[in-house]
Amino acid sequence: MQNDPDKSGSQKAAEDEVEGFKQELGPFVVAAETTRMAMVFTDAKKADEPIIFANDSFLSLTGFTRNNVLGETFKSFLAPNCDARALEQLEAAFKDASDGDPELCLKRQDGSIIPTSVFVSPVCDERGDLVQNFVSFVDLTKHRQEQAHLRFLLDELNHRTQNTLATVMAIIGQTLRGMADDDLIAKLEKRVLALSKANSLLGAENWDRVGVRDVLDRILAPFGLNNGQDCKFAIRGENVRLQPKVALTFAMVFHELATNAVQYGALSEPDAGLIEIEWSVEPAQGRELRLRWREVGGPSVGPPQHKGFGSRLIERGLAQELNGSVQLTYDPSGFVCEIKMPAPQESVQAPS
Amino acid sequence: MNNLVSARRVLVVEDEVMVAWAVEDMLTSLGYTVVGPAARVDQALSLIENGSVDAAVLDINLNGEKSYPVADALIARGVPFIFSTGYNKTSVHTGYLGYTTLQKPLDGSILEKALAELLVPTMRMP
Repeated sequence: MQNDPDKSGSQKAAEDEVEGFKQELGPFVVAAETTRMAMVFTDAKKADEPIIFANDSFLSLTGFTRNNVLGETFKSFLAPNCDARALEQLEAAFKDASDGDPELCLKRQDGSIIPTSVFVSPVCDERGDLVQNFVSFVDLTKHRQEQAHLRFLLDELNHRTQNTLATVMAIIGQTLRGMADDDLIAKLEKRVLALSKANSLLGAENWDRVGVRDVLDRILAPFGLNNGQDCKFAIRGENVRLQPKVALTFAMVFHELATNAVQYGALSEPDAGLIEIEWSVEPAQGRELRLRWREVGGPSVGPPQHKGFGSRLIERGLAQELNGSVQLTYDPSGFVCEIKMPAPQESVQAPS
Repeated sequence: MNNLVSARRVLVVEDEVMVAWAVEDMLTSLGYTVVGPAARVDQALSLIENGSVDAAVLDINLNGEKSYPVADALIARGVPFIFSTGYNKTSVHTGYLGYTTLQKPLDGSILEKALAELLVPTMRMP
């Protein structure tokens, strides 16, 4: 584009125009010329938005000279393969119909690429007609690098956590094998495994919120959730997003409930039972998350002889940690666990 | 124990000693014969060169070294394998996304199912 033979004419016109508003807007033009934020003005009366002014910061950001820039179309400074959505946003902004600030990559003179956030402000004349677009750029290079570094650190932390938990499981197995009952060892290992699954889910979501359904998917997979027609679970509810702490507790609780079902409840006899898991967010008392785990078709159940890890976790863990209430019903027709707790704010995943 | 299963030789590639023991124990209790464990790529490659292997469980990150060359050697011989990783599954190199990847710590029941699927000849991975 630098070798355009028609350049001198369009450049001259652009320079004249800048000279015009320099005289009108004196101090503002000096400010625009000297600010550290990269800025250009484009001629909005022409379809391809040629650049009629570029400040020093824009030139140092892109590596071009003023002669390279003036009269050239705005788009000729964009990197190839720009995000289509961001280009749509740019087009809209140029027409004074902004629908968000696009993030677009600029192409530097040396061919390298700079990610930027682009802000377009329309400039209208006295009659209200759009005459110019004022475009400023925030260099996102450092921001992107920091994001990548954070992502890297988080990945490392997740990896370390998973490996540590894998090592804890190995220590349990190596220490107890031959000395303790195999069922006991398996029980212990599986609890650590449930904890690690919840951790890995949270890790995958950057320790942000995790959906109830995602927790169930991960925790119930070894209990045959994905066994197609043989699946013993009927699950219904929106993917309500839980805070990390709640997700961890839910993961452990679902694991204990499923383990109990295998030992005593609906999953203890082949082909007999089914577990229905349903939840919803109800408007009552603020917003309340209500979840019901109901076992049907299994053997007749009664209250446990003593309260072990599982029932303590469910009754106390949920009630105390989540500020909720839990009701366990040992109905002869099947065990029922009902959980009520304050619903997390903005807890339903927006449809994507 | 299923005679067919016990004849299967499964290579374990894992750099963390105790985790490797756990995987060995899991495979042994499922009735497989363990080859290795190998903690490095070169060890794994020489185990593949020198003996018959029917399947493999590969930790992706071996103390900073990636186990993809081991995967390539297995692919070249038509030997099915499973990746295991403590990283997010999305961190698997794009060229290997078609292969089964299990999250560490390994879940014995899920490993059992995954290996059984791999070792059914008609279900072999791409």
